[in-house]
Amino acid sequence: MPAPIEELREQIVGLLPRLRRFARAIARNPHDADDLVQIAIERALARSGQLRPDSRLSSWMFGIVRNAWIDEARSRGRRERIFAPAELGENIGDPAHETQSDMLAVQEAMARLPEEQRIAVGLVLVEGVSYKEAAEIMNVPIGTVTSRLARAREALQAMLADTTGALR
Amino acid sequence: MKFSDETLMAYADDELDPPTRAAVEAAMAADPELARRVARHKELRNQLRSAFDKVLDEPVPDRLIATARTAPADRRADNVIPLRRKSAPRWSWPQLGSIAASLVVGAILGQLLLRASITGPIIARDGQLLASGALAHALSNQLASDQAQQAPVRLGVSFRSKSGEYCRTFLLREPSALAGVACRGREQWRVQVLAQSGQAAADGGQYRPAGSALPRLVLQAVDEQIAGEPLDASGEAAARSRDWRH
Repeated sequence: MPAPIEELREQIVGLLPRLRRFARAIARNPHDADDLVQIAIERALARSGQLRPDSRLSSWMFGIVRNAWIDEARSRGRRERIFAPAELGENIGDPAHETQSDMLAVQEAMARLPEEQRIAVGLVLVEGVSYKEAAEIMNVPIGTVTSRLARAREALQAMLADTTGALR
Repeated sequence: MKFSDETLMAYADDELDPPTRAAVEAAMAADPELARRVARHKELRNQLRSAFDKVLDEPVPDRLIATARTAPADRRADNVIPLRRKSAPRWSWPQLGSIAASLVVGAILGQLLLRASITGPIIARDGQLLASGALAHALSNQLASDQAQQAPVRLGVSFRSKSGEYCRTFLLREPSALAGVACRGREQWRVQVLAQSGQAAADGGQYRPAGSALPRLVLQAVDEQIAGEPLDASGEAAARSRDWRH
């Protein structure tokens, strides 16, 4: 029998720090990331009857965040692709962000990855989810997860090597 | 031995089975270039992790917490009955949800039976609890889809049990607020489950997510006993016309 709704609500509250971290890894800026988490919470509660007793809440929620992000990205479409690089650039000169330059470099590199690669990285490398769990969340075979991760890593290593090289 | 980059990556992510893992470690010991590639994978992982771990230290925005605590929820998650049916009885689970209920322990039940007069709502006979008086009358005659707001007994969901009997949930307002399930035996309504509710009246039918745990015991009993879907208004009327006999 599924947990009563009040229990579920509190479990979601407990998961919020991780959901925000995952959303930050896949969305383009902190504001979008929190909007994404908000949409995911709403969807999760509206569909809470679909949560099976044997499934892990974190995996289920990551899946909802991922789907919500893909829906959002699709609906924003072209506008996003045009403005995203400028938005990223704006943060660089902001003194509040200077102390977080390492984070910024990583985020900027992440933002350049294709959506599905970024999601794989967010799940496995940021959230520490197993390949198998990530495959279930992304609804793809494990082999697809590993190949996305391998390509993403290669791209990230190249970009981050560039960044650190440029800063020095 | 040669290892693909994916294998080295899986090693860094601790995803290899023990034999492959041992093979990679042996190869790394012999080949510094291999060890360097693995180290790069681990380093990237640490870099990503430490960049985003900072998010965990940030205070969670209030609006997100508020959304988690108040956004509308699928009622099915609050246990038991899928509310998919087209025409629900008017006294719905959400109304029941406004009743904080707890299991009737012996003491409460004893009090109830003592207080109940000969025409009281529940009597004990031959080791069974039977509906009596106003409760028995309501169970036999009152339709959930057509009942007075202030009726002393409110009927909730009616359903066929797995053993083929008709069962109904009820809320008794007097002498104390009790919710329960009664099933129609050959002659009488047997009270299967009784749970005390903290509040006598439903709150005007508003769904209140906060603090509105359903009388779990009642819901669980329905969940365990129900065969198929609850009766809709016409099913309820048809059952009444057969005097709730199958």
